[in-house]
Amino acid sequence: MNAALPPLPAPIDLGDRRAIARRISAIENAEPAAADIGRAIAPDLGRAHVIGITGAPGAGKSTLINALLGELLGRGQRIAVVAVDPSSPVTGGAVLGDRVRMGQHGAHDNVFIRSLSSRGHQGGVSRTTARIIDVLDAAGFDTVIVETVGAGQSDVEIAGLADTRIVVCPPGLGDDVQAIKAGILEIADLFVVNKGDLPTADATVRDLLDMLRLRHRTAAPVPVLKTVATRNEGIAAVVDAALAHVAAAGRGQRLAAHASRPGAVAAERVRRLAARDPFVTGLGIRCVDAGSGHAAVAMTITSAQLNFNGTCHGGVVFSLADTAFGLASNSHGTIAAGIDAHITYHVAAQVGDTLSATAVEVSRTRRIAVYRVDVTRADSTLVSSFTGTVYLTTRANEPGHAGHGA
Amino acid sequence: MNKPLDHAALQPAAGENRWQHDYAEQIGTDQAVRNRSGVAIKPLYTPRDWSGERYAEDIGYPGQPPYTRGVYPTMHRGRTWTQRQLIGLSTPSDYNARLMDILAQGATAVSLIPCNSVFRGHDMDDVDAELLGTCGVVVNNVEHMDACLAGVDLGRTSCAMNDPSPFTLLAFLLAAAKRRGVAWDTIAGTSNQSDYLSHYVANHMFFRIALPGARRILGDHIDFCNRHVPRWNPMSVVGQHMQQAGATPAEAMAFTLATALQNADDCVARGMDPDAFLPRFTFFFDISLSFFEEVARFRAGRRIWARLVRERYGAKDPRSGRFKFHAQTSGVDLTRAQPLNNIARVTVQAMAGILGGLQSLHTDAYDEALSCPTEFGARIAVATQNILRDEAHLTDVIDPLGGSYYVETLTNEMEDEILRSLRVVEDAGGMYAAVEAGIVQRKIGESARRFQDSVESGAQTVVGVNAYRTDEDRSARPALAKPDPRQMRDHLASFVAHKAARSQEAVATALCALARAANDAAANVFAAVVAAAEAGCTHGEICGTLRREMGFGHVQAMV
Amino acid sequence: MEIRPKVLVTKIGLDGHDRGSRLVAAHLRDAGMEVIYTPPWQPIPAVVKLATEEDVDVIGISSLATDHLIVPKLMAALRAAGLADVAVIVGGIVPDEDEDMLRAAGVARVFHPGSALEDIAAYIREITPAIRARRLAA
Repeated sequence: MNAALPPLPAPIDLGDRRAIARRISAIENAEPAAADIGRAIAPDLGRAHVIGITGAPGAGKSTLINALLGELLGRGQRIAVVAVDPSSPVTGGAVLGDRVRMGQHGAHDNVFIRSLSSRGHQGGVSRTTARIIDVLDAAGFDTVIVETVGAGQSDVEIAGLADTRIVVCPPGLGDDVQAIKAGILEIADLFVVNKGDLPTADATVRDLLDMLRLRHRTAAPVPVLKTVATRNEGIAAVVDAALAHVAAAGRGQRLAAHASRPGAVAAERVRRLAARDPFVTGLGIRCVDAGSGHAAVAMTITSAQLNFNGTCHGGVVFSLADTAFGLASNSHGTIAAGIDAHITYHVAAQVGDTLSATAVEVSRTRRIAVYRVDVTRADSTLVSSFTGTVYLTTRANEPGHAGHGA
Repeated sequence: MNKPLDHAALQPAAGENRWQHDYAEQIGTDQAVRNRSGVAIKPLYTPRDWSGERYAEDIGYPGQPPYTRGVYPTMHRGRTWTQRQLIGLSTPSDYNARLMDILAQGATAVSLIPCNSVFRGHDMDDVDAELLGTCGVVVNNVEHMDACLAGVDLGRTSCAMNDPSPFTLLAFLLAAAKRRGVAWDTIAGTSNQSDYLSHYVANHMFFRIALPGARRILGDHIDFCNRHVPRWNPMSVVGQHMQQAGATPAEAMAFTLATALQNADDCVARGMDPDAFLPRFTFFFDISLSFFEEVARFRAGRRIWARLVRERYGAKDPRSGRFKFHAQTSGVDLTRAQPLNNIARVTVQAMAGILGGLQSLHTDAYDEALSCPTEFGARIAVATQNILRDEAHLTDVIDPLGGSYYVETLTNEMEDEILRSLRVVEDAGGMYAAVEAGIVQRKIGESARRFQDSVESGAQTVVGVNAYRTDEDRSARPALAKPDPRQMRDHLASFVAHKAARSQEAVATALCALARAANDAAANVFAAVVAAAEAGCTHGEICGTLRREMGFGHVQAMV
Repeated sequence: MEIRPKVLVTKIGLDGHDRGSRLVAAHLRDAGMEVIYTPPWQPIPAVVKLATEEDVDVIGISSLATDHLIVPKLMAALRAAGLADVAVIVGGIVPDEDEDMLRAAGVARVFHPGSALEDIAAYIREITPAIRARRLAA
C-alpha cells in the first residue's frame, strides 16, 4: 500500500474527520494514493443511503437539506453532505458551499460537509463525485446527501450516483410544468415542492402529479410532497418517503449503475461531430457535455456578435441553441435533419456573457424526435427557450464509425 | 424674483465657442470623467446647463418644500449643526471621562456607541474577554448607562444611542432618567441606526434578531416613542452602512429612501397617521471625499423626499417632508499609510456635509484606520469642526453653492441617478422584498468591485497608497488606545456581582412578560423591553429572550 | 493536475463588516481558486471543523475591529486538530505591534488596508505547492 495513504483503523473511525477529508482530496486531486483508496474501501461499500438532491436555483434546496439534516440527526444518524457548485468556465475558480453552510447543523459532530467544484464538468456531477461518495459510504455514514445545482445535465447524471433521487421544485410552475426537462421526470424517485406556504404550492403539486400520471401509466407512483423547510413542516414525511424508497429499491443501487455508461459512446460521437462543424468552430461554440440524446454547448458573446441595439444578436442565440439541438439529435449515430424549430427570447444577452445551451430529448419515435433547449447565462438566468423537431434518417452521420443508437 | 428668460443669451455665444476651441487645443489628452455615482462631469458648466428657470418649484427657499436649499429657514446661521461625536470606549467611567472632555471642547450633544458584544446581543460575561470594549463602551444594564451619562442633564442634552432592535440602550436610558426624576417627555435624542434593513444588507454588524421580528419591534418602538418620549427620534434610516459597503452615493441615497418608504408603509399599515410619525424620521449618511457629488446628493435627497412624502402619504404637516440628517465623514476614504493626511481628508468631507446642509456631524479622527481613535485624534476631529464654523465662517450663508451652474446641474443629475436605483427597488416590491431577494446586496457588491478595480488600476488615486508613497517611520505613530484590562476585569466582576444581587424574581417575571409580548401581535414589545430594563434585566437577557421567541438573525453569505 | 488553491475566507469575533472579505473571495475565485466563503461571526470550533472537512490549504481571516486579538486562539485550535500545515493569513486593520504578536502565534502574513488583491492571490499561489507537498509526504 502506498505510504502516502493516511493511516486509518479498520473499520474507518468516523471520528477521524481529517483522514476522511484527506482521502476525499486524494481522489479529487488525483493524488498517487487515489487508486489504493479505491481498492481499500471496496469491501465496505453499499451500506450508506445515498440521496441525490437536485433542482433549479431558487427551489430552496439548501433550506431543505438543512431541515433534513435536523430530522436525520434527530433519528440518531450520521450524515455526510456533498455539495457540488459550478466552476467558472473561464477561470476555473469557484465559490463553494456557501448555501448549505448557512444553516446551523454544519457544526454538529455527526455531520460532515464537503464542497466540490464541478471543475468544468457541466452541472458538476462526474466520476470523481461518485468515488468521493464511495469514500463517505465506506467511512460509515448512514446517509450521504449529494446536492447539485441542477442547471443542465447534472439533473440526469445524478441518476447514476444516488440510491434515492429527489427533485426539488419551487412553487408557481403552473403552465411551466411543461418546461420541466423530460429527463428529470424519468429519474426522480421523489418530488418535493418547497416553500409550501406560498399560494401556488398546491397547484404545483397537482400539476406535477398530473404530469407524472401521464408519463408513468404503468409504473409505480412517484410521491410528490409539500414542505415548508424554514418551518420544518413536511420534513419527516420526506425522510420517511426516502427511507421507504430505498427499502424497496435497495441500498447501493448506484454501484450497479456505475458499471455501464451507455452515454459514453454517444458523448464521444458528439464531440467529433462538433469538431468538424465549421460554423460551430467559427462562432466560438464549444461542446461542454454530451450523451445519448442530450448535448450541452457554450460560447462567450463578443462585440462582433451584437445587434444595432448593442445586445447579443438573436441569430447568435438561435445558433447556439440550434447547435445543441443538432448535436443532441445526431448523438444516436444517424443523420437527424431539422424540420422545424422555434425560439423564444426572454432576456437580452450582453457582450461578455457566457451562454450555455442544453438540449434534452423530449420525445422520440421511429422517424420523429423533439428536443427542448434551454439557453442560460452563467448566473443561471434563462435567456431563451427553444424547441426543435427532427426527421430521423437511417443514414449514419459518421460512415465507417461503429455504434448506432448507442 | 425670476428674470424673464433671455433666449438670445442662451445661444452659444462667441465666447463659449472660443473657450471650447481654446480648451480643446490646450487640454492635451482629456479623459472622460465620471463621479462615483457614474455621472459624467464636464470641465465647465454655464447658463446653458442651468439658468435658474423653475427656481421656485425646483430650488425654492430654505425651510419650504422642496427644501433643496435646506430644511430650516435659518439653517446653520441660526443654529449651528450639532457636533455629535461618536464616542465608545471600554468601561462606562472611561466613556464618561471622554464625553466630558469632548463636551468641554465644544461638542454639543451625546452619542454613545456600544461594544460589538452589545451590538451582537451578548452580555460581557458571554464573549471572549479580549474583545470587550475595544471599540465601544460595554453597557449591559441601567447602572452602566447611568454611569456613562453621569453629569449629563438628560432633560437638556440631546443623546443619540447607536442601537438597533430591540433598543435596549434607550430602555436603559429611560430607566436611568426615571431614577433621576427626569420626565420622559423632556428627553431628546435619536435611536441612531435603528434601521434594521441597512444592517442586514450592508453591515451585518448589529443584526440580532431575524428580519420579521426586527421589523415588528421597530414599529413598536416608533409607536412607543410617539406616545411616551415625544422629543425622541425613533427612526434613523441609515445610508452610511451601505455606502461603507461599497454603494455609490446615489445608490446609498436611493436605498436609504427606499428603506424610509418601507418603514413608513409599515407604520401606515399599523394604522398610524403619517403626520404623526414622519416628522420624527431622521437619516444618517456617510460623506465621501467626492466633494461636489456629496453636496448635490444631499440637495437632491431633500427634494425627492419632500415630493415622495406629499405624493405617497398625503402628509400635510410641513415637518413631515423635512429630510433631517446626521452625517459622518467616511472612514473608508481614510488610509493607514501617512495617517496625518487623513486630517485633510476629514476636513474636505466635513465641508461637503456642511455645505450639503446636514443637521448633525461626526468627524473621524485621523487614526481611524489604525485602531480605535486616541484622545489626541478625537480632539483634532472636534477642532476641525470648530475651525470650519468659527474661522472659515461656513455658517454665514445658507446653501452657498446653490445657484452654481455646476451644482444645480449636478443636483438634477444625481436626482436622476437616485430615482433610477429607487425604481429597481420598487420594481422588486419594496426594500424588504429586494433585500430578502439579495438584489440590493448584489448591486452594492458590484459597486464595491468597480471602486476596488479603479483603485487597483490607478484610475482612482489614493495618496500614500497607490501614489505618492513614502517609507514611513513606524515609531512615529502615536501610542494606540487600548482598554485597560484591569478596569475591564473590575467592570466584569461588578457586573457579575450585580446580577447575583438583584431580585431574580423580578427579572424572571419581566422576561416572561417580554416573551409573552413577543408572541402577542397586539402587544408592544418595546414597552416590555423598557419594563424589563427597569426590573434589572440585562441586555443579553433581553436579546436572548427575543431571539428565542422571534428567531436569530441569520445572514446571507454572498460573494 | 493543476494545483488550484482551496481557500477558506471567513471572519471570527464580533465584527460584521464584510466588504473586504467579499472582494477578496471574488478576486480569488476569478484567479481560478476554489473559495469557501462564510458569513461573519464564525465560532472558532466551526472554523476548525470546516477547515478539516474541506481540507483547505489556506485560511484567510478578515478582521476589522480588533477581532484579530483572538486569532492566536484559532491558531492553537488548528494545531490541536492536526491542522498545523494550513496557512493562516490575516487581512484588515491590525496595529503594527499586534502584527508581530500574530506572526509569533504562527500567522503566515498580515495584509493591511490598501493591499492589492492580486498580491494576496499571488502570495497564496506561491505558498500552496509547498503545503500540498508536505501533505503528500506526511
